[in-house]
Amino acid sequence: MLETLLAHPYLAHPFVAGYVVPTVIIVVQILAIVVPLLVAVAYLTYAERKVIAGMQLRKGPNVVGPFGLLQPLADGLKLFAKETILPAGANKLLFLMAPMLTFILSLIAWAVIPFDQGLVLADINVGVLYLFAISSLGVYGVIMAGWASNSKYAFLGALRSAAQMVSYEVSIGFVIITVLLCVGSLNLTAIVEAQRTIWFAIPLLPMFVIFFVSTLAETNRTPFDLPEGESEIVAGYFVEYSSMAFALFFLGEYANMILMSGMTSILFLGGWLPPLDIAPFNWIPGPIWFFAKISLVLFCFLWVRATFPRYRYDQLMRLGWKVFLPFSLFWVALTAGVLVTFDLLPKA
Amino acid sequence: MGATSIPVMAPAAAEIFLAIAGMILLMAGVFRKSGSMAVVSWGAVVALILAAVLVLTHGGTSAEPVFFGMFSTGPFAQFAKLLVLAGSAIAIVMSLDYMKREGIDRFEFPVLVVLATLGMMMMVSANDLIGLYVGLELQSLSLYVIASIRRDSLRSTEAGLKYFVLGAISSGMLLYGSSMIYGFAGTTDFNGLAQVFSKLGDSGPAVGVIIGLVFVISGLAFKVSAVPFHMWTPDVYEGSPTPVTALFAIAPKVAAVALLLRVMIEPFGDLIAQWQQVIVLISIFSMVLGAFAAMVQTSIKRLMAYSSIGHMGFLLVGIAAGNESGVSGVLIYLFVYLFMNVGTFACILSMRQQGRYVEGIGDLSGLSKTHPMMAFALLIFLFSMAGIPPLAGFFGKWYVFMAAIESGLYALAIIGVLASVVGAFYYLRIIKIMYFDEADEPLDAEIGGEMRVVMLVTAAVTLLFFVLPAPIVATARAAASALMGG
Amino acid sequence: MIIQALAFYVFAAIAIASGVMVVTSRNPVHSVLYLILAFFNAAALFVLIGAEFIAMILIVVYVGAVAVLFLFVVMMLDINFVELRQGFMRYMPIGALIGLVLLAELVFVGGAWTFSGEATQVMLAKTPEIAAVHNTEAIGNLMYTRYVYLFQAAGLVLLVAMIGAIVLTHRQRDGVRKQRIGAQIAVRREDVVEVVKVTKGGGV
Repeated sequence: MLETLLAHPYLAHPFVAGYVVPTVIIVVQILAIVVPLLVAVAYLTYAERKVIAGMQLRKGPNVVGPFGLLQPLADGLKLFAKETILPAGANKLLFLMAPMLTFILSLIAWAVIPFDQGLVLADINVGVLYLFAISSLGVYGVIMAGWASNSKYAFLGALRSAAQMVSYEVSIGFVIITVLLCVGSLNLTAIVEAQRTIWFAIPLLPMFVIFFVSTLAETNRTPFDLPEGESEIVAGYFVEYSSMAFALFFLGEYANMILMSGMTSILFLGGWLPPLDIAPFNWIPGPIWFFAKISLVLFCFLWVRATFPRYRYDQLMRLGWKVFLPFSLFWVALTAGVLVTFDLLPKA
Repeated sequence: MGATSIPVMAPAAAEIFLAIAGMILLMAGVFRKSGSMAVVSWGAVVALILAAVLVLTHGGTSAEPVFFGMFSTGPFAQFAKLLVLAGSAIAIVMSLDYMKREGIDRFEFPVLVVLATLGMMMMVSANDLIGLYVGLELQSLSLYVIASIRRDSLRSTEAGLKYFVLGAISSGMLLYGSSMIYGFAGTTDFNGLAQVFSKLGDSGPAVGVIIGLVFVISGLAFKVSAVPFHMWTPDVYEGSPTPVTALFAIAPKVAAVALLLRVMIEPFGDLIAQWQQVIVLISIFSMVLGAFAAMVQTSIKRLMAYSSIGHMGFLLVGIAAGNESGVSGVLIYLFVYLFMNVGTFACILSMRQQGRYVEGIGDLSGLSKTHPMMAFALLIFLFSMAGIPPLAGFFGKWYVFMAAIESGLYALAIIGVLASVVGAFYYLRIIKIMYFDEADEPLDAEIGGEMRVVMLVTAAVTLLFFVLPAPIVATARAAASALMGG
Repeated sequence: MIIQALAFYVFAAIAIASGVMVVTSRNPVHSVLYLILAFFNAAALFVLIGAEFIAMILIVVYVGAVAVLFLFVVMMLDINFVELRQGFMRYMPIGALIGLVLLAELVFVGGAWTFSGEATQVMLAKTPEIAAVHNTEAIGNLMYTRYVYLFQAAGLVLLVAMIGAIVLTHRQRDGVRKQRIGAQIAVRREDVVEVVKVTKGGGV
């Protein structure tokens, strides 16, 4: 059926076969990732409210649809219907670019995430660096929003965010290096494959913890949500945003959370691999395992939010620079030392 | 390329030691709560002396360059490194009292001096354009910080900023030139470059190489503060705290001249026809400007700046000669220059009126009455800088001029002699002020013990150099022949 | 291949255009943002020549860290643009002259460019086949062996930069109460809690 279709004279034309068809295929692949992702984002907000409500012995959303399942759609519709407000003193272009940037960045990172063996949009050599690079760019949306809003609260939020993200990126970098030492490749598929014997969360447990805490800081989540800090700087960098611009920030932030959970799963929890390669586990297809692991990490995100109070800013900086940085540096050296001493270095 | 092959490190023992010592001193300074300046300073002096010992024991052999041809040793590098280490160690000793009195006794100062010295040693040993650049940057970056170490003073921060901006431009020029040379030769290694340039036909090198070479010379001329790249020198000398000025006048100059010499002779030795005229030109400009501009100065630090520009001009005469006696002349001149400058700065650092440091030339009036010994020492240094026989400075000039005549640069030698006659004028002016003017306000009587020792030793060396010049001359000749042969 | 060529021209053109905008835009924040755009396009060009490792490092280091701090500082600057312009006009002729001289030299050099015959023989590190070793590995193989001297020296330069930043800006301020976590943890119940027997009607 497909072959006869491809043999059609229109499709056999070199231009069509060389450019149009691949483009269409890529667009379809992108949609296959982005659409489920956006649905997941919508239901992550729902899950957040439900989980926190459960922890606080409340019910959470339960009015719109069965079990409140349509609540995210209702929220989205509400935001659509609102008016986009441009503050008078704002830098219009940057003000509008900031939420778009945040949203786009949270989506393009998914291009390299492998959902299963070979099930990846772009299987590039330096996948983990690409993820790291994209996540380090997230700060631009925040800074641009804070600066372009021309409001002191927004600006304070932006400054806090810039300092915070740059600080925690350093320890994330070292954590990634430790994992790379054990893998010998920057390719995400290779990283997952290297965990067939044992997930890195076990031998590298301290780095796993550091990575998880750093991702909390990187995504501006509690207890490191100082850039937003609704009780001190009234939502920080997006205080001036409304309607769809706000929605884009919101979506971007939650997509980033999912992305970071995915990264945690790939680096430490064996990606799509089942916990044990035996009968009942390996019946379940890889993407489901991957999804389950992401959900587990996301649950921890929500759990942390329901449990911990916000850090003070000096404590945040102290933790990043004086605890995580030296410790992760030490672990890089230790891991390298152990690998060399016991001749465990991955063979290239 | 085996993962376990560890490079030979012994020839670089002094540098490695100094790097580690610098970090240990830094830690010591950080973890000792207060009053760590004196401890760290003396620790730095000890480290520099130990490094000098290591240079003596490990640095003298003209073995193959180590670290894959990045780092070369030999008598030439050894000679220059010993001068650099001596200059830095003395500068730290001379700074102790000043820094404490002025309230800028921060332990980072000696640490930065140690790291700057390391950079200078790397410059002297550089055997690769990239290694050269990295050493140069290590040195320069430390010096930028040291220049503005009195951070609450507008002049000191201005000095640091000016030095930084202009230094960055010169580094840029150096890199631009290096990239052109690399593009032509396909290597940054000095031996490789020499090999490439030795096989050029009659057509000479490509135009890009000449432009690149000019840029490299400009970048290095900035570091030795030769005209027309001298603009920063007077302001930086004047704005920085005086011990820092002393350091600037001594160690980096020695290192930069040695580096310039090595770069001109080793990789570009076969291009002498191309670079000689450039060096001659900046040499003449430096000598003339140094002599004339110094006459109108009222601050002794500015005067020393122009004096050092002039001295650089004389040193460039030796480089321009491009022959073995030129190289040995430059090395002897550097040796003498070190002692004259250290002594002069020891005198300047002893100029205090009621506990405050002063730096006007007029403040020296009547010095011969109040401090006869110091006045006499300063007299020796100034006469030596003017090049009056039989003091050491005369010999320095003698050797470089002889080298210039040997390679047929008669005009350059004559201009040099004339410039040193003009230069003698402003040195004599200071002597006149010291010996014949009445003091308005005498300088404080007390002179620190370290200063006395420094003055005594440097004055003795400067005065008595003619008695026994043979060891230094012989060492310099050996170093020069090693450089020319290598 | 046509797509590659097209991509090259697009990225290169944007890189140059944003480079021009860095210098000419009126607002320094816009300048920094254009600089970031230029970095991005440079990274894209690296990807095009197959050097994806350097491309990613360029983004992580320059865009993700250095430029963020640039932006951080520039956003807080209080610059009088009119004053800035005046200086610009005054130094414009000499700047243009220097630029022209450099450009002329480049053209001159570019026009008469030759490689020396020895260039390939004396080359230090032979470029490995791109198919045999991928570029991350190739860089790793050289960086810590052949260039270890420069690697360590560059580390020292960074150390000096760090010391310099601290020396010139760090101030020990009086009256700042710092959190001392050790002291907080060392507190025992007896030190801070006192059980008082309150008599009826007596108060504490």
